[in-house]
Amino acid sequence: MVTIRAYHRPTTLAAALELLARPDVEAIPLGGGTEINGLPGRVPSEVVDLQALGLADISRDGATLDVGSMVTLRDFIEHEWTPPLLRDLARREGPNTIRNVATLGGVVATADPESGLVAGLLAYSAVVSIAGASGIENVVLTDLVGGGKGLVGSIITSVQIALGGDGTFEATARTPADTPIVLVAGHRSDDDSLLLAATGVAATPVLIEPDGIEDLRPPPDFRGSADYRRHLAGVLAARVVGRLPEGGPA
Amino acid sequence: MTITVVLNGEARELTCAPHESLMAVLRREGFYSVRFGSETGETGAAAVLVDGRLVSSDVMLAAQADGHEIETVEGLAPRMSLHPIQEAFIATGAIQSGYSTPAMILAAKELLAADPDPSEDQIRDALSGILDRETGYLRPVLAVQRAAAALRGEAVSDVETSVVSPLTYDMDGVTDPEGIPAVSPKVVPNPEVPETNVVGRPEIKVDALKLAKGNPAFVDDIDMRQMLYAKVLYSPHAHARIVAIDDSKARSLPGVRAVLHHQNVARVRYASGGQSYPNPLPYDQVSFDDKVRFVGDRVAAVAAESVEIATEALELIDVTYEVLPAVFDENEAIAEGAPVIHDEDGMDGAHDASRNIVHHISADVADVDAGFEQADRIFEQEFRVHQVQQAPIEPHIAIAYWDSDERLVIRTSTQVPFHVRRMVAPLLGLPIKKIRIIKPRIGGGFGAKQEMLIEDIVGHLTMATGRPVRYELTRQEEFVSSRTRHPQTIAYRTGVNAAGHLVAQEMKVVANTGAYGTHGLTVQMVSGLRGLTSYKSPNKRYRCDVAYTNLPVPGAYRGYGAPQALFALEAHMEDVAHALEIDPLEFRRMNWTAEGDPIDVAPQLGEGEADTSFVPVVTSSGIEECVAQGERSIGWQRRLDPEWRQPSDRPNIRRGLGFAMCMHGSAIPGLDMGAASIKINDDGSFNMLIGATDLGTGADTILGQIAAEVLGVPLDDIVVYAADTDMTPFDTGAYASSTTYISGMAVKRAAEETRRQIVDRAALLLEESAGAIELRDRQAWSTDGRSVGLAEIALSSLHQAQQHQIMGTASYVSPESPPPYAAQFAEVEVDVDTGQVTVQSLVMAVDCGVAINPVTAAGQVEGGMIQALGYGHCEEMAYDEGGRMVNARFGPYWIYRADEMPRIDTYLVQTMEKSGPFGAKAIAEIPKDGVAPAIRNAIANATGTRINAIPFTPERVWQALHSKG
Ligand SMILES: Cc1cc2nc3c(=O)[nH]c(=O)nc-3n(C[C@H](O)[C@H](O)[C@H](O)COP(=O)(O)OP(=O)(O)OC[C@H]3O[C@@H](n4cnc5c(N)ncnc54)[C@H](O)[C@@H]3O)c2cc1C
Ligand code: FES
Repeated sequence: MVTIRAYHRPTTLAAALELLARPDVEAIPLGGGTEINGLPGRVPSEVVDLQALGLADISRDGATLDVGSMVTLRDFIEHEWTPPLLRDLARREGPNTIRNVATLGGVVATADPESGLVAGLLAYSAVVSIAGASGIENVVLTDLVGGGKGLVGSIITSVQIALGGDGTFEATARTPADTPIVLVAGHRSDDDSLLLAATGVAATPVLIEPDGIEDLRPPPDFRGSADYRRHLAGVLAARVVGRLPEGGPA
Repeated sequence: MTITVVLNGEARELTCAPHESLMAVLRREGFYSVRFGSETGETGAAAVLVDGRLVSSDVMLAAQADGHEIETVEGLAPRMSLHPIQEAFIATGAIQSGYSTPAMILAAKELLAADPDPSEDQIRDALSGILDRETGYLRPVLAVQRAAAALRGEAVSDVETSVVSPLTYDMDGVTDPEGIPAVSPKVVPNPEVPETNVVGRPEIKVDALKLAKGNPAFVDDIDMRQMLYAKVLYSPHAHARIVAIDDSKARSLPGVRAVLHHQNVARVRYASGGQSYPNPLPYDQVSFDDKVRFVGDRVAAVAAESVEIATEALELIDVTYEVLPAVFDENEAIAEGAPVIHDEDGMDGAHDASRNIVHHISADVADVDAGFEQADRIFEQEFRVHQVQQAPIEPHIAIAYWDSDERLVIRTSTQVPFHVRRMVAPLLGLPIKKIRIIKPRIGGGFGAKQEMLIEDIVGHLTMATGRPVRYELTRQEEFVSSRTRHPQTIAYRTGVNAAGHLVAQEMKVVANTGAYGTHGLTVQMVSGLRGLTSYKSPNKRYRCDVAYTNLPVPGAYRGYGAPQALFALEAHMEDVAHALEIDPLEFRRMNWTAEGDPIDVAPQLGEGEADTSFVPVVTSSGIEECVAQGERSIGWQRRLDPEWRQPSDRPNIRRGLGFAMCMHGSAIPGLDMGAASIKINDDGSFNMLIGATDLGTGADTILGQIAAEVLGVPLDDIVVYAADTDMTPFDTGAYASSTTYISGMAVKRAAEETRRQIVDRAALLLEESAGAIELRDRQAWSTDGRSVGLAEIALSSLHQAQQHQIMGTASYVSPESPPPYAAQFAEVEVDVDTGQVTVQSLVMAVDCGVAINPVTAAGQVEGGMIQALGYGHCEEMAYDEGGRMVNARFGPYWIYRADEMPRIDTYLVQTMEKSGPFGAKAIAEIPKDGVAPAIRNAIANATGTRINAIPFTPERVWQALHSKG
């Protein structure tokens, strides 16, 4: 695990950012801790627990859902406004013992290559609010995950999701609850545009195009070679597209 | 830092370091129900409720819990009482080793607080964070349902056995088992089985209370002053010579008390497999060597004041390696020019160490070549089975200390306490009498703990420091540095005559025993025995080379060579039937061994002294009835229905059903030995001391039932104490499906001896002849209806007249190993576009003789089938080119979770095995044998594609479907 040298629990965002900004101290935000506390290695660091910042609310402004970064996957799943696709994908992120503490901010910040929820959020064109030294900035999730925007010294405060449209996903895994080898999530928004995102085909979850599958360069592992992953992406994407026909379900 | 929490309802201030997990702090505070299963949150053994929600406390900082409410199982019910959820877990048989039971109980508590009447899906989701290697989750789910009903105020009745009427002979019972509640074990009766009172009943486990309450019971659940913590430096190379070790920096690190390696520990050769004296050759291990032979091999050990200091010390040990070429595949290892893995002196007993062949095994029945000449058709196939790990949720752990007599005590999670004592003594340079091994409760073993694995390390370190030393493997170390299942390449060749009978069968195996021999000989003997025993053939041949490679070391794993053999055999038989256009069940039936048939290869492939003059014979078989029950349960006729096989609304899906026949053994004949000692107490209760080791299987309970039956008392009157080399009689240990059959017979004899003494005393008191006295209901009865209580008998003999301790001791060894039989069925769905296989249903009907306790027996089958499902479907140890395991963590190494289980259905088909205690045979291992081939045959039924390697992971299946001509 990371060797945690000190634990802080600030009560204001400003104080939290200050703790992260100290030039001589390595410090990282702590969401639920399910990832940080299980990490191998002994990187010395201080942690800044975000639990007292009041970032655990879900609110709605018209058709936009605003999910606080400290909302646990459990609360996200159980909330009535959460779109069914994202609810189902959140349910696949680990078992209940993890979902009860892991946070949406933690999921987005980690952007695990196999996170179906991150793929779902990509397909939903989610926007992430990030608080840093220069205030709060809204970043399209694609940019954040794609590495265009670093997180060092900053805090994800919330994730915005435009409600509406229709979504679905398809996955191939060794067993029903196993982390999929490849998962494809699709969302057709109310303006009829379709976005597809996949896990298991790149270093992070990525948006994919049905006719761009051949260009994917999936990192292989023992569960799936690059060729096989590409094949799966094609099959699963076609299924997702088939279930999200233009103009809504026939 | 200090945190303030409400812990089980009480406001508490706890001191902790910023990095400490909540699990570590709770355990330090004495909440032993919070158990270590992994450091990364996957096992859920450390789950607790925080603000009413179940969380894995191994991945939560104690600091995060500051200001919150925490609940552990300790808070559920005061002493001498149980919470309704605990009662439900006990009553349904949901507890096996009990290691993760507290976590499951808390999961139920959270769920039922929110919803008094949850659905099965909700229950499965609530349990999904707790991995269980033992129950198949069936009974835990039923326990939560029962607890829900009880908490709603509904009446719950005792769990009773359901008698299912046989399909192949006449006896009364339920004719439509569909309606039987899942909690009720289904027993198919047999007319030869006599009535019993305690035996054959679903009695409550004798250790249930401590396990349900999370009381301290496991190795780690003690605190010792001055304890030191051990860590071991493991090799990063698959094959290397240690040119130099400089431990000076490690030694000078404050808090380090000892650093051991090949330069300061005596070089004593041994074989680590926990087996009877003399352990099979070669002795190819030493505590610390100047060579490493796999990634994860031992290099050095440290004892320090804390785990953190010990870990830091490992990094300060400077090792210079000369890296050598390595080989991982068993066939490459025995080929010309392969790197020689054991080139050291003293390799006596290895077949040909220079070619990495540690053993060459052969067995012949009559003349196989002549047999093939008579055959009308000959079939040949090759199979490959891979490496998996036992993955007990409690990893290996041992604590050593000097007692006040300056004898070395080792408290260890082992299946073989007596073998460990004998084997560790020479390594430590101590006489056996100076060593005491204590086996407390064990959190699962499955063979991984049939090994002297880490006891020498803690022993050496305690001797070096004079202090207690604790060593617990991390999850990664458990995967890589403990024991695994042997991979094999298996070739079958079978000759069949025109009538469809086998005339010759040959099995050739190249087995991979990794870097060390340990169980390499005997596992592969069992492969040959099991691989050539299910079916009659007048001519048989077994040839096997056991190869050293640079892989982590295989050893004993539940099934012990049989799952490998039966995967190949049952796939092969299926394909032969297909080629001959004979119904696959009928083809097996035409050829399987039945009552009266000789087990002809057994004398050559037996472990004890080879006595070729004694050929054991099958004395009981319920296979015919097993097949009939299984066929009905799985709906076997569907396999021919095209509409079922290819659902019209799901074009990419194909469905199929598969079958495998299983035949196992009960103990190693002529070698496995058990002993028991039973003494009466003042109140007419009994202490029973046994050397047998209950790993969670319920052995203590069924042995208690056997004693209770003989002594005419309820199980509650038998106080069972097991496995302490100072206190209990010898037992070879928990392996080879021997406990019920062998230790059970020892218990029965000890109880009979005790009964004889009781009857003598009763005869005295009742002024009757001993022959006329019967024991029942805690009384000794004369024929004319007078009786005297056991308490009176005890008081008389202990205090009043002709005083003596009524006490019986007996041992047992069997010349026989009567085979349990089983019919295994599987239903699968195959996604032909992706290769994904979903197992929908597993049915096993098993003939284990008389099930002494139908609930624990059913539990063995349910859990065993799911472990076997992992073997066939999803578990695998994967390596990079350098021999480093790339998935040494749960998750990447996937074991089935509660929320993704297939339907499982179990039938206990009774036969009366005259040589076993009250008719019992073994049951523990046979559930491991048939699942992989049944799935394989179901995939063939679904798709026409026959896959000859496991596991059936999506890419493998897709490749096979794709490459089909
Ligand atoms: C048993 C188990 C199963 C798992 N299964 C899955 C799975 O199926 N799929 C999957 O994707 N992951 C899985 N994970 C990994 C992990 O749990 C998730 O990534 C999780 O959602 C992380 O959330 P957290 O709040 O616990 O993050 P933390 O551990 O608290 O943090 C993770 C990272 O995110 C950063 N961070 C957290 N919150 C913020 C914030 N608000 N702003 C900026 N940075 C932040 C942290 O600094 C850290 O670098 C699993 C983990 C376990 C233990
Ligand atoms: S291998 Fe453990 S009981 Fe057989």
